Amino acid sequence: MEGSAPAGRAVQAWDELLALSRDEAGERQLLERLLDLWRQDHGATAAGLYLENGEALERQAVVGAGLPEFLEGDAAMDDIGSLRFPGGRLLFAPRRARLEVSPDEAGLVTSDPLTLLLASALKNCRLKQDLKEQQFQVNYRVVELEALYDVGLAVASTLDLDRLSEEILLRAVSLLDARRGALYILDEGRLEEGRYRLAGTFGGAAAPWFDGKDPELRAFLTGGGPAPAHLLPDTRYLLGVPIEVESGARGLIAVADKESRRGVGPFFPPDRRTLSLFANQAALALENARLHLQALEKERLEREMHLAAEIQRQILPKGSPLVPGFQVTGWYRPARQIGGDYYDLFPLRDGRLGLVLGDVSGKGMPAALMVSTLHSALRLLLDQAVFGPVLLERLNRHIAESSAANKFITMLLAELDPLSGVLHYMNAGHNPAILLRGDGSVEHLGAGGLPLGLMSEARFQSRAITLGRGDLLCIYSDGITEAESPLEEEFGMARLTDLLRRSRDLPLAELAALIPEAVGEHSQGLPQGDDQTLVLLRRDG
Amino acid sequence: MTESLNVTVDRREGLAVIYTEGYINNQGGEEIAKEAYKLLDEGYKALLLNLAGTKIVNSIGISILIEIIEKMLEIDGKLGFCCLTPTIEKTFHIMGLAQYAPIFPNEEAAAAEMRA
Repeated sequence: MEGSAPAGRAVQAWDELLALSRDEAGERQLLERLLDLWRQDHGATAAGLYLENGEALERQAVVGAGLPEFLEGDAAMDDIGSLRFPGGRLLFAPRRARLEVSPDEAGLVTSDPLTLLLASALKNCRLKQDLKEQQFQVNYRVVELEALYDVGLAVASTLDLDRLSEEILLRAVSLLDARRGALYILDEGRLEEGRYRLAGTFGGAAAPWFDGKDPELRAFLTGGGPAPAHLLPDTRYLLGVPIEVESGARGLIAVADKESRRGVGPFFPPDRRTLSLFANQAALALENARLHLQALEKERLEREMHLAAEIQRQILPKGSPLVPGFQVTGWYRPARQIGGDYYDLFPLRDGRLGLVLGDVSGKGMPAALMVSTLHSALRLLLDQAVFGPVLLERLNRHIAESSAANKFITMLLAELDPLSGVLHYMNAGHNPAILLRGDGSVEHLGAGGLPLGLMSEARFQSRAITLGRGDLLCIYSDGITEAESPLEEEFGMARLTDLLRRSRDLPLAELAALIPEAVGEHSQGLPQGDDQTLVLLRRDG
Repeated sequence: MTESLNVTVDRREGLAVIYTEGYINNQGGEEIAKEAYKLLDEGYKALLLNLAGTKIVNSIGISILIEIIEKMLEIDGKLGFCCLTPTIEKTFHIMGLAQYAPIFPNEEAAAAEMRA
């Protein structure tokens, strides 16, 4: 640049560049003007300023035509020259453009002011890009924290397990820039096996379940091994962490294929920490929803149990029937809300009285259902059949066919003829009833067959006794005689017999109240272990 | 849930609406950018991104959206968003997108404002 005209153009260009540099929005124009001046000065038709971005070069500004927007690696460039700047390059065409700079690719060695200005501008671009990237990362950390906070809030506000699972999975996939993801939660129906069931998937299929105790899976979740092949098929890079609460594992969350602008790659060590933090929050949310579901289920079961108890109360006698010359009463206290003991007092043909006391094996709802079956079948049969072994054999077949293999019922069924005082009875494997004679002697009404339901072809015997004045019959369930003291001593038949003997003249209702009272004293506050049932019959006339 | 993003465009008088359905990630973001730059080449200077069909966006997708916003600023164009999930709206505010591209609750409000 020699002479006054070129000097004048230089001053004008300099003023123009200064003006552009003061305008924040004019950054690109400044670069383009600088490149244009450089192009003119060096006889090039095109020039472009490129920033290094990993292996690639990314164009920031260009003048002229023929220069690419991106350049991957060391791709060959036909007739394009290159100057290496710190953090980038100046590309120009044609290659033969006059250069007053060193073509040394290892570094820039020049005293050319325009080239130095371009190098400085590129450095400025680099700094701005870095600042922008850092600001982006800082903001994205805030997004991550917000996501953790939001999931924490969901703990208190969302109890819908499906919605929570989807929310957790979406957040995890987006936070970690993953392409795919899957969430597994502990299968409540298979707790003992520790099986995880797929609760949600994003971006593609995933294995439907996992054995939580699988060593390969456990190694993967702790970062000590590769992912099981079928976890997220057709993915390359996987990251997974367990979802745990204090009481143990609740599931796992896995993401796959971390994205970048250049494709997908492996996750970084901080990603595991981020996913773990997220899994911890998710664990609380899932646990909360799970406990809520459990509470709802418990409430439902309690309502059903309450209803079942009400139904069971309905099948018990409403009071004691009036039988000429006799007093009769019954008493029943289940160990739980509903029980497996059963008694009934019912009028039969010709002024006869039916008495039954049964004890179903087991407790709770299954036993209560069998009690209902027994009650219905017995009432139907007593209406149709004559009291005797055939009746009991038909009842036994019905019970055997309609109940589980390991279920049975012990039962004492009796029919009293009040006129003659004759009592026919059949004992299907039940505790022997106690007959306290008026003279103080004791007889036992023992078994005349197997418990009902054990063998469908079982046979039964009917026996008969005659009740005299003052004779007292006590039919009871083993919940009374087997009630234990704190020293594990059973109440026993002897205590029951002794109590009957001492109180035999009391009104039967009072005597029926004395027996559970004595059993309670014997147990000294221990929880009642079994249903307790009594039927008392005394001949007074 | 799907991995890919479906993009459809509704060209109107003075405004083009880009509808997205799916994940705004690297691929999804590139799809949106491709459509947006095509619309700019066609002469549209007001673009509305309706994200009603998008539940999830990652950082790569956000960086591409920022590039589109920068491009729009360079040409004095307008870019707006509408129908965002609360999570995405919060993310856009934190990441600074909302500073340069307004967020509208629905398409009608957005169209009225952006045509003005």
